[in-house]
Amino acid sequence: MKLLYSLFSRRAFLNSLIGGWLAALGAAFISPLLKYIVPPTREPDQVSVPLAEVQDLAAGSVQGFAWGNKPGLLKKAEDGSFIAFVGVCTHLDCNVSFVAEKRRFYCACHEGWYDENGINVAGPPPAPLRRLAVSVEGDALIVKKQG
Amino acid sequence: MNVLRAWIEERLGLRAVAAFLEKKEVPRHKHTIFYYTGSSILLFLGIQIVTGVLLAFYYQPTLAEANASVARIVTEMPLGWLLRSVHSWSATFMIAIVFVHLLGIAFTKAYRKPREATWITGVLLLAASLAFGFTGYLLPWDELSLAATKVGTNLPKAIPVVGAWLTGVMRAGEDVTGDTLSRFFIFHVSVLPLAVIALLGVHLFLVQRHGMSVPLEEERKGAKGPVIPFWPNFAYREAGVWLILLGLLVTIAVFAAPGLGPQADLMAPAPEGIKPEWYFLFLFQTLKLFPARILGLNGEIVAVLIMMAGMGLFAFLPFIDNRPAERKGKVIAGLVWAGLAYAMGMSIWSLL
Ligand code: FES
Repeated sequence: MKLLYSLFSRRAFLNSLIGGWLAALGAAFISPLLKYIVPPTREPDQVSVPLAEVQDLAAGSVQGFAWGNKPGLLKKAEDGSFIAFVGVCTHLDCNVSFVAEKRRFYCACHEGWYDENGINVAGPPPAPLRRLAVSVEGDALIVKKQG
Repeated sequence: MNVLRAWIEERLGLRAVAAFLEKKEVPRHKHTIFYYTGSSILLFLGIQIVTGVLLAFYYQPTLAEANASVARIVTEMPLGWLLRSVHSWSATFMIAIVFVHLLGIAFTKAYRKPREATWITGVLLLAASLAFGFTGYLLPWDELSLAATKVGTNLPKAIPVVGAWLTGVMRAGEDVTGDTLSRFFIFHVSVLPLAVIALLGVHLFLVQRHGMSVPLEEERKGAKGPVIPFWPNFAYREAGVWLILLGLLVTIAVFAAPGLGPQADLMAPAPEGIKPEWYFLFLFQTLKLFPARILGLNGEIVAVLIMMAGMGLFAFLPFIDNRPAERKGKVIAGLVWAGLAYAMGMSIWSLL
């Protein structure tokens, strides 16, 4: 059967063909650029803290260490063992501090509080502080991502 | 002289522009004052460009040097303190007038057909102005600006699907680092200026094309109301306004130069009393008040989504308020007032 008129004019056909090519070409150019603009994160797999640095720490007090480019917090428990947190508020990312008198962690940005085990207890924080795993190896504490 | 003029005319054809300006008229009614806001914004934009370029002569956007170079600008460079103060205050003035401009347009419903596109380019320009403020705030790299930037760049994370990626784009990675500083700098001095120039071109073109909008009530009176010729009458008045604003700006800048906090430390706890720039205060206060969980959802996500929805509605106001003269239009005007009252109330609360 011969169609009386074509569904596409030659111009419409060529336009969509070339338009499609250009769109594909554009996408091919843009996708690597989108990849480039977010660099990979450099969260460390583990960090070692020399035992000598934390030995004199009183039970119940907290010392900072560098967890990549975030602050880490090392807390000595009553029994002498260590627990570690990423010292970054789970609300909107501000760095928290340990308030020794209250035995709580405090975030100044929107007045968020965590208890000494890093559990969010007051203010806007929606989740506990992120825990890190601590183990002793030789004369160093090894802090690792948990799980 | 005439030969020169003819020579230029032949090449540029500026006659058409001059003829347009001679014919241009500014309607005169009780809201005429809002017509001055546009050119005042341009004044402050011009000041921002000049002072910004001068500041960039000495500013160094690196982790080690940023804070120190700002300190050097204000302590060692001749009149550097004044330049920085003018840049900072002029930003405040500009954004304040941008808001007045916007509210004037919202309340006189100047966005109605056929000016929807003008409104949208305006909203985009507003977004660019706020982005200027946000990126500029980090550049002195002190404790407060670091904490404010951490919070501000964390907010988009709450947006579904693209949120985490967007935060990554703003921060150059997961965290705020020296890379964030370079990125904010290049946005502040290159990406945003280019965007503003392009948007402003379209915006101004559309304003000229449609002419000045007249408030509904005036329009309803029928016959064309009184007008002021743009050239030279209105232009001279604008010049007067510029002079007053300029005097105010420089006076305030001399007497209230902004301070510079201690250099930001990525490892230090956030300082007490972080506050964003005044135009973000209502958002800041809202975030502080939102509980951690609402109906089992993350409070922050709810807050951000509500804000996004509000901004989205605002951007498309001309299409939503498509019957400005009727009941619907009045309700919408009421909502805009309510929004304004909310923003002002929250801002004041956050200062208490
Ligand atoms: S960032 Fe910690 S409470 Fe908001």
